[in-house]
Amino acid sequence: MDLQTVLEYEAMVKLDLPESERIWIAEKASMLEDSFSELSKVDTEGIEPLISVLDLNYTLREDIPIKSISREEILSNSPEQCDGYFQVPKTIE
Amino acid sequence: MKKEFFITRYDVKAENSFALDDNIMVKDGLTTGGSKMLHNFVSPLQATVVEKLLDAGMELAGKTKLDEFTAPGIAAETCDILSGAVGAVSEGACKIALCNDVSGKIRRQAPENGLYYIHPTYGTVSRFGLIPTVSSMDQIGIVCKNIDDGFNALGIITGHDEKDVTTFPQKSYAYTPKEGGFKIGIPSNVMELTDEKGRKAIYNFTGKYDTEETELKYFEVFAQVMYILSSAEIGNNTSRYDGVKFGYRTENYTGLNDLYTKTRTEGFGLDMKLLSIMGAHVLSRQNYEAYYLKSMKIRRLIKEHAIDLFSRYDAIALPLKLNDPDPYKNSALYAFATLCGLPSVSVPLGSDGGIQLISQVKNENSLFGICKGGR
Repeated sequence: MDLQTVLEYEAMVKLDLPESERIWIAEKASMLEDSFSELSKVDTEGIEPLISVLDLNYTLREDIPIKSISREEILSNSPEQCDGYFQVPKTIE
Repeated sequence: MKKEFFITRYDVKAENSFALDDNIMVKDGLTTGGSKMLHNFVSPLQATVVEKLLDAGMELAGKTKLDEFTAPGIAAETCDILSGAVGAVSEGACKIALCNDVSGKIRRQAPENGLYYIHPTYGTVSRFGLIPTVSSMDQIGIVCKNIDDGFNALGIITGHDEKDVTTFPQKSYAYTPKEGGFKIGIPSNVMELTDEKGRKAIYNFTGKYDTEETELKYFEVFAQVMYILSSAEIGNNTSRYDGVKFGYRTENYTGLNDLYTKTRTEGFGLDMKLLSIMGAHVLSRQNYEAYYLKSMKIRRLIKEHAIDLFSRYDAIALPLKLNDPDPYKNSALYAFATLCGLPSVSVPLGSDGGIQLISQVKNENSLFGICKGGR
C-alpha cells in the first residue's frame, strides 16, 4: 500500500497521521496485503459466508418497557452538552 | 521495581477476589478499554459477569491493564508487554481475572507464567457490559492459577442473559471434569512450524493419552482470515469514538470534521489506526469480495473442518508459539478457537512452557478432565 492510498483511507476513517505513523502503516499494510494473496489458493466455490458461529434463532424479548440509562447519565460522559443534548461545533454557516 | 498490573485497585483480600480487564464495566466506575479514547469514561451500567460474581460472594480486586481494546495488534512492542490480568493473578493479587482475549496474547502468556486460561464456548458467557472489539469473536475468559477455581468461576458467569441476544438459551452450565477415555489429535502440519520446546511440550503432555497425528486444514490462512475479519469489525466498532458522545475530545478544533479527525488521531494508538485503515481497505468496493467475503467463506470451511475433527477427537493440542516470532504469524495458533467459537484451555507445563487444548462447542468438561489428569 503506498502513502497516497493510506492518505485516502485516513480521510475515510477520520485520521490525520503524522508522517512517521503513515510510513509505518504503509509498510505493515503492504506486508498484510502480501499475505492476503494466500486466500486465493483456498477453493470456496459454492460455500456460503459464515456470519456468526452461533446456530441460534434469535428471539426478541417481550415488548415491555424497562428502566434504561437516563438522559443525565448518558450526557454525563459527554465532553460538552447543552440543554440536554450533545453539543458539537456549528455545522452550518 | 515492582510492576503495576492494575489501573484501579481495591483493598480486598485476594483469596476470594476477581480482577477485570479494564474493558469490562462496573457501574459508576472508570472503564478505559486501555485507550486514551476512553480515559475518562464512567460506566453507566454493570456487566452481567460482574453482577454474577458479586452475587456469588466474590469481591472485586480491581481493573487490570490491557492492550488498547484488546485488539489483535501486530506491533512487536505491544505483543511483548505482560497482560495485566496475567500479572495480577501471577503475583497473587486476586484468585481469577476476567478478560477478552481475541488475539491469543493472554492464552500464550498465561501458561508461560504458570497459569491457566479458559476460553469458553462463544455464546455461553454474556458479553453485556464488555466494550466490543471483534463482536463475532469477543468472549470473556478466565485467567486462574488453579483449574478448579477457574471452572468454578465459569459455572457462575455462564448462562443465558436476556441482555445479550448472542447467548445460548441454556440457563446455566455445570462444569465437572470428564473422567477419561480421551483421544487427542496432534496436527502435524502445525508441529512442523513450531520449535523443539513446543514439540516437547506437546509430546510430553500427551504421552499418556491415546493420540493421533492429524491435519489442521486451512492453518496457512488462519492469520489472514483473523486479521481481515477483525479489522473489518474493529473499524465498525470504533467508529463510535468521535469525541462527541463520550470519552476523549481534542482541545483545539475548527469544525466538526476537524473535531472528529483530531480526536481520533490523538486518541487511538498505532495498532488501532492500522486496524481502522485495514478495516476500510478490506471492506472497500474493490476488495470486499477478494478479502472480506472470501474470509467469511473460509471461516465456514474452518468451522466445518472443526466439526469433522471433533467427531474423531476429544481435543486438539496446539503449541503456544511458532518457530517464527512474528506476532502476526503466531496469531494463527489462536485463531482456530476464536474463529469457530470453540472452548480452549491454555495449560501451564513448568519448564516445558505450555500448550493449548481445544475442544468442540460446549465440551469444556473434556478439557477440564484432561487438565485434572484424566486419561
